[in-house]
Amino acid sequence: MQSQRSIFQIQLLGDHAIVFKTTTGLHDGIDHNLLAFNQFITDEKIKGVRDIILAYDTLTLIYDILSFDPNPYLFANHLLEKFLAISTNTNASKADLRCIEIPVCYDPSLGFDLSDAAIKSNLSIEALIQQHSEKVYTVYCLGFLPGFAYMGNVPKSIQLPRHASPRTNVLAGSVGIAGKQTGIYPMKSPGGWQIIGRTPLKIFDPNTATLTLFKAGDQVKFNPISLELFHQLNAHQDVD
Amino acid sequence: MSIKIIKKGLSDRIEDLGRYGYQDLGIQPSGPMDFLSAQLANAILDNDLNNPVFELHFPASIFEFEQSMWICISGANFVPVINEKSVALNTPILVHPKDQLSCLQPLEGRTAYIAFKGKLDSNHAWLNSYCSFQTTLNKEDHFTISSDPIVAISLNPFKEHLIQQVQTSLFNEHEIRFIPGPAWNDLDAESIQLLMQAHFSIDAKSNRMGFLLEGPTIQLSEPKQYLSSAVTRGTLQLLPNGSIIILLADHQTIGGYANLGQIILVDLPRLAQFNNHSHFKLSITNVQTAHQLYRAKQSWFKH
Repeated sequence: MQSQRSIFQIQLLGDHAIVFKTTTGLHDGIDHNLLAFNQFITDEKIKGVRDIILAYDTLTLIYDILSFDPNPYLFANHLLEKFLAISTNTNASKADLRCIEIPVCYDPSLGFDLSDAAIKSNLSIEALIQQHSEKVYTVYCLGFLPGFAYMGNVPKSIQLPRHASPRTNVLAGSVGIAGKQTGIYPMKSPGGWQIIGRTPLKIFDPNTATLTLFKAGDQVKFNPISLELFHQLNAHQDVD
Repeated sequence: MSIKIIKKGLSDRIEDLGRYGYQDLGIQPSGPMDFLSAQLANAILDNDLNNPVFELHFPASIFEFEQSMWICISGANFVPVINEKSVALNTPILVHPKDQLSCLQPLEGRTAYIAFKGKLDSNHAWLNSYCSFQTTLNKEDHFTISSDPIVAISLNPFKEHLIQQVQTSLFNEHEIRFIPGPAWNDLDAESIQLLMQAHFSIDAKSNRMGFLLEGPTIQLSEPKQYLSSAVTRGTLQLLPNGSIIILLADHQTIGGYANLGQIILVDLPRLAQFNNHSHFKLSITNVQTAHQLYRAKQSWFKH
């Protein structure tokens, strides 16, 4: 089992966190062992664990010093051994991942940078929309704002840098590109991403049980919709 | 109605000890910058240590009370006055209807706390916590506190000892210790030396998300890109321009800058009380020491 154990490297992060990092690097999507380990740790309901944060090639446990195991490194090793012992036949495969479809209106009135982005990419607006919407993206992590999902990877031909100075007011639901990543602003916020469209869906709703549409590991596909349909479905309160 | 804000402060907040369990969704834990003082103010009033408190930054809000209640002010000394008469820190104070509480000047420390006896209206809670969610206290905000019949609250030898221990830890000790992080070995040798010898101070642009440090320019031995991963309260991030930011209560949940290390929890309340003129050095410690210190300090609160 020694070789199997080395699928993750364990590192203590300060005095109240433990990082498990894949040793195989990041390829297309999140490593399936890391996704399975995330599920395993969640189901274990470990005493003293306050948060479990999955991001790209790492999973981080945040713990409460007073109620967690007094030897976190040893604990992490045991946890990993237990996981490896039971995980051989329960590996999550790509087919088990959720695929979420998000309607997006790619209209210049909502995607302020759409025309510019097409010019910079040397593509027609239609071609840019097609390239952005035909790919299935992976949610690599959530951060920056509640519910903000960092998704990748954007096709090389439409990768665009952030604005040198951020816009002060990007509206909730705005879909943007920043380098290899694409994402949706869950709420009105300053932001530097190139805005190419807008979804009528609420990405973050503090009044629902799930709070956000996405979690790390999800697969996401954008479906182009008309401006008319956008207005019919629009769940945001800040327009019209 | 029982407490009303009659003048808005710079960035006052309501906080309990934090909102955990949502960082995977990008929701930061928050909580008091100086959790030791917030706990102390509650302990003096015989409250649960997680009771919500007001966190004050100078210039602070002006509060008006609309019913009699016990309060306690801890942490920074902003020279608090009630109806222009000065009141003591770390002492139960009985306030009456129409009393006004204001703060005159930032004499010592950076953040002050007001705890109150009674139960705060649950309308202000969200996701199991009273921590302000991206908001500050505003003029005309009301907080309803249902208090039991007023019973006298006083100091006793246990509380006096507790106060002395907390105050010494916050204001008479100066150590800020950290445990090296994943990018520590990516620093060049000269930068490590600079970092360990420098006297740092806190830049005026600092806030609850993080303290930007004024100090020497720190460099990696060669430029390196990192994949974003979780950061914690206390993470030392190296920015591309060579300066360091210490992530604090309202930190983002993930970060993509070089993670040089994490300040240990017991030293964060002390750091939170440094003002912009304070100077401090960083030193290295380990997990075992950090845990021993944390357990020891939290045991102060147990009878």
